[in-house]
Amino acid sequence: MKRRASFEGSSLTEQNTRRMRLQANAMLNASPFDPTPLAKFILNLKQKPANIDQNDLMAVLEVIFTNLLKRESLEPQALQWDSLYTETWSLLLDRLGSSSQVETQMALKVCMSLIKGEATSPVVEGDWPIGKLKSILEILINGPERTIVLKEFGKYTKCLDVLNLAIKFALELAPTGDYQHDTIKAMNYLSLVNQLDLGKAVLSAQKYHVDTNKSHRSFNYEKARKKLNKIWRGIIASSNGIDEDLHRMVLVVLLERILPHMENPIGVTDFLMNSLHEYDGPIALLALQGIFVLMQKQNITYPDVYEKLYQMFHARVFSNKYKSRLFYLADIFLTSTHLPENLVAAFVKRFARLALKSPPKDAVIMIRFICNLLLRHTGLQKLIRGDPLAEQVTDPYNEKENDPVKTEALNSSLWELHFLQKNAIPEVANAATFINNPLPIMEFDLGPLLDVEDSRIFDDLLKSKAKQYMLSYENTKTLALTEDYIVTKYFDLV
Amino acid sequence: MGAKNKKANSDAVYAKKTVKSTNPFDNATAQSAKRQNPFDVHVNKEKFKILGRICKHDRGMPGVARSKALQKRTQTLGQQFAVKHKTNKFKDNRIGRHLSGDQLTESVMNARYLAEKMSQVRTTQKAQKFNLNDDELLTHRGQTLEEIEQYRDERSDDEELDDEALDADFTSAAHFGGDENETSPQDRQAAIDEMIAEQKRRKNEIDKEKNEVYELTEKLDANYKLLLPLVAKATKDEQEAKPPADAYDKLLKEMIFEPRGSVTDKLINPAELAKQEAERLERLENERLRRMRADGEDDEAENAKPKHRSADALDDGYFVAGGEEDDDTLAYDMEGNLGTHLASKPETKEDSRDEAVEEDGEEEEESEDDSEVSEAENYSDLNESEAESETEQRTQKKPKKAKPQATTTLDASIPFTIKMPKTYEDFTELLSSHAALQQATIVERIIKCNDPKLDGVNREHVVKLYCFLLQYIKDLFEDASEQDIRGNFQLLSHLMPHLQSLTQLNPERMSCALLDVLKEKFGEYQKNPKTYPTLDTLIYFKLVSNVYSTSDFRHPVATPTYVFMEHILARARVRTRQDIAMGLFVVAVALEFGSKSKRFLPAVFNFLEGILYISIAKRDGDKLEVAPPFELNGPFSKLLAIAATPESKSLEQQNLQAADLVNHTLTLDFKVRALDTTLCLIREALQLVGEHTGACYLAGPFIPLLARLRLKPYPEHVQQHHREATQLVQQLAEQKMKPVALAERKPKALRMLEPRFETVYDDKRRPKMSKEKEERAKLLHKIKREKKGAIREIRRDTAFVQELKLKQQLQSDKERHEKVKRIYQEASMQQGELNELARSKKRKK
Repeated sequence: MKRRASFEGSSLTEQNTRRMRLQANAMLNASPFDPTPLAKFILNLKQKPANIDQNDLMAVLEVIFTNLLKRESLEPQALQWDSLYTETWSLLLDRLGSSSQVETQMALKVCMSLIKGEATSPVVEGDWPIGKLKSILEILINGPERTIVLKEFGKYTKCLDVLNLAIKFALELAPTGDYQHDTIKAMNYLSLVNQLDLGKAVLSAQKYHVDTNKSHRSFNYEKARKKLNKIWRGIIASSNGIDEDLHRMVLVVLLERILPHMENPIGVTDFLMNSLHEYDGPIALLALQGIFVLMQKQNITYPDVYEKLYQMFHARVFSNKYKSRLFYLADIFLTSTHLPENLVAAFVKRFARLALKSPPKDAVIMIRFICNLLLRHTGLQKLIRGDPLAEQVTDPYNEKENDPVKTEALNSSLWELHFLQKNAIPEVANAATFINNPLPIMEFDLGPLLDVEDSRIFDDLLKSKAKQYMLSYENTKTLALTEDYIVTKYFDLV
Repeated sequence: MGAKNKKANSDAVYAKKTVKSTNPFDNATAQSAKRQNPFDVHVNKEKFKILGRICKHDRGMPGVARSKALQKRTQTLGQQFAVKHKTNKFKDNRIGRHLSGDQLTESVMNARYLAEKMSQVRTTQKAQKFNLNDDELLTHRGQTLEEIEQYRDERSDDEELDDEALDADFTSAAHFGGDENETSPQDRQAAIDEMIAEQKRRKNEIDKEKNEVYELTEKLDANYKLLLPLVAKATKDEQEAKPPADAYDKLLKEMIFEPRGSVTDKLINPAELAKQEAERLERLENERLRRMRADGEDDEAENAKPKHRSADALDDGYFVAGGEEDDDTLAYDMEGNLGTHLASKPETKEDSRDEAVEEDGEEEEESEDDSEVSEAENYSDLNESEAESETEQRTQKKPKKAKPQATTTLDASIPFTIKMPKTYEDFTELLSSHAALQQATIVERIIKCNDPKLDGVNREHVVKLYCFLLQYIKDLFEDASEQDIRGNFQLLSHLMPHLQSLTQLNPERMSCALLDVLKEKFGEYQKNPKTYPTLDTLIYFKLVSNVYSTSDFRHPVATPTYVFMEHILARARVRTRQDIAMGLFVVAVALEFGSKSKRFLPAVFNFLEGILYISIAKRDGDKLEVAPPFELNGPFSKLLAIAATPESKSLEQQNLQAADLVNHTLTLDFKVRALDTTLCLIREALQLVGEHTGACYLAGPFIPLLARLRLKPYPEHVQQHHREATQLVQQLAEQKMKPVALAERKPKALRMLEPRFETVYDDKRRPKMSKEKEERAKLLHKIKREKKGAIREIRRDTAFVQELKLKQQLQSDKERHEKVKRIYQEASMQQGELNELARSKKRKK
């Protein structure tokens, strides 16, 4: 019943939308321009009546104004709708500051397309509407938390002109004072900075938001880079005593956007080292990645990196957002075939232990990873190719030892994989059977596995169309099974 | 000679074989034995010794060989030459001249006779060809048939008998001359006379008897001829006189020829029935075990391709939803018997009747209706009407059977036939006014009235019913309150067998429906993975556990459910009483899933560890590890910890309650209950995996947690369970394992290959030829050589014959010469005598 009601409601708003579109078309086609319906639309936008879908309304306004702006550039007329345009703009900015995600996204879209329209018609202000972009960014930064909208804004920063201006405004709009006082604003700001991608893909694409305008087509990488460095200095200066989320965001911004374009990357080493040692979990992981980049590019040395990496693998890692990053890093760190065997063996043992407790997807990754490590370090194959005549022992591997070299892992054997074959999830059990057969010749490619969503296994299982649905042959009379009943043994349900 | 030689050789061979003497002198050649003369031997010199070549011609005895050949020729060619042009020899040209004794069968003899005849005809003139009175004499053992006829004894057997044995008196008298004392010489004449008289009398008697018999036979013959027409007439009349069959007779006949009863299975006694059932279960169990094994993808591929299934193995327990198979074949009868195809005719009839039922809703009408129809039915078509009535009986019985299960007073209000509700609202309306038990009965009756066997449309109906029930479960449990949760569970318990039987009706469609629901639930859950799904989701898990074969290595329904449960246990935060109870419920269902296959779900162990962890009242210094979704510290890390109070100590042992699944507030008794259940479940879970190598890794983490648990505030039964769990955990943690090694495989057998022949080059250039040509060339070469040998032999034969001829010539010349000489001699002698005579004449003169 409820569904039917909502359906009828939607049909009403749909009708309204259709009517609005018709009116807009009629208005645009009428030879003497009559702005009265437009005024009505703007009134609607202001008053937000319930029976009109605001998103559709904004879309209609977008169509009207882009058309009008185009017409204006062709045949300059008396600006009958100038005031209406300014009013609409202010209303849209207002809407941009609202709390509804969908509406803000729509408003952003309309604003950006209006900016585009305005820039192409030189009549209104004659140039790129810089001020309007600035006001948009200002509202986005100062409003409530806007990560999703800012991600939407990321689409536009792929265009070099917008990117250039955004970098400029980001520098200007940087929040003053420490981030810990205004975390939401800081978060928004960092999200904005996170959208400023100076990567090669963006630069080489040479995309512009406004095509015709030549004046803003000159994008200077060096200038932008300098500004970006300045932004980073501002961020690092004000990020004292920030909480974990912000710290994580800072690290993400640093790693993703700033580090590749930094003038003096060594300078962030201290920041990364502090993050690595003081924090646990995702922050340490991100810091480790930063250090890895520095090791690669700047040739810094960090003696205990393997120990640190080893300690990062614990049972809590699987609830970590950045776990695939960790696996990726570990894969790179352990690529070298010149690593001592006892170190790699410790990693192998730890992965195996964790696979026993991890969700199926991670277990599969780790099993494949172990297989790769065994292939890289052929000496480790004694972990799965023991002497069949040897005596029975308890596992000599010491789980609690923090130094991977001292864990005695090399004297152990991979019983875990044997046990994993008894995992209830067939994917995991199948992956673990590799120890029963001769090892593969090629390493597994972990890349595709890392990108997989956690729920993927469930979806895959449902996708495969089964032919046979085997039923239990024991007919139960009640909830209880005929044998091995556990639920009814411990629950008084009936 | 050759044969003789052979015999001698074979004799020698046998002698050698049989007599294995130990005497060393046996092999020594005797002094007198023929020794090889060294001058007879000719040695062929060999220039090079060639390995592998067998040389037959290295030495030979030309003298011996020549004499042998000569001997052979004299015996063969010589003989032939000697009898050349001779006409005085016998030649047997008869058919089968080589045969003897038994081999000379009748057919051979006939053929021989015919051939003889033909040759005669051929030789004699044409005029005689058609002469029937040929005077040929047939012989048997050298005697003509006529001769044989003459000596044949024509007398009959009885006469012979009379004559054969002579009287004792006669013999004594005739042969031995009687007793001289008693009979005087004058008596002898009398005795003989008497004997003759006696003989005559006997002959007369016999004659008379014979005559009498003859007369009697004559008379009988005459009489018989008179009787004969009479007899014939009587039989014919009897046939005609048969009265026309009246109704009674007809009926009687029909009753006689009517089939006495259809062939059925013989009655099975309970013991056999139990045995059959046990066999069936064993077979299904074996099937299940096969599916349980993780033989990887091979096994799956096997499952995927259609296998041959014998007609016997078709149904009994598992219902395989094959794509093209009709539902009817898969279905179970409501009593649990295997349903078979009904004949198309009764089915359509039942359809119409069903409609009638739906319209009237009265059984009496239905039966009347049916009886009319069966009367109208063709009378002779007995079998079909019988089957009809049988099915009818069965359908009538079913609702009655269901009756005693439910309480009679309340069930009276429920109609026996219930139409399938059109919409879900109708369905809930139908159920809402009844108690749990009646609701189950209603569902049961709907299933029975909509059995897919009855009507094709019902197939859709049962699927719809199943979907309604799933929806009903959702409605029951989604927002269940503490008051009605127990009732809802009771209802579910009653509905469970029906859900199961519904799934059995059409496993494919029902499973798809259930999977769709699970998918939707998973989607809902994924939106907010940190919170527990609603209770109905867990009920679906339990449904899967009850209905499906969850022990399969890979199962289209069970495996996704497993994954879903894993997600819940690994993600959803544990904060309230409901969360804990739900988590433990999922753990229990997961353990049920794995109870047969002995497979483990890591999240189950994590969850149990977590529950233990939150039961421990920690101090700051504690170093205990716990994995998400449990929190390491904070208020939620001590959720189940209790302080020592007298009331906690005195709590009774109690299982988790249905209300725990909906209630949010944590109470003391719940805390104790949950911990108690957790301890028991730990034991269950570890027992499940205990037999595998590596179970110590799952048991190990429990040790510090169990050790840290302060038992003081808990009642005795909790402490007892704690002891049991600790014992098992420690036992498993000390497990010793052999290092992982590759299982020994059978050594791979070498592949047997065809031997490769290398061509040997003997440095003789031969044209390269194909295999056939080569073979042909070889054969031609052989022929050439044989021809050469044959020519040589023929030449020698001619030489031999020429020699013989020469000898003969010489001999005849010699004879002639001698004859001439003799003639000359005689002539000269005659001349001499003449001369002598002449001279003597002269002298006389």
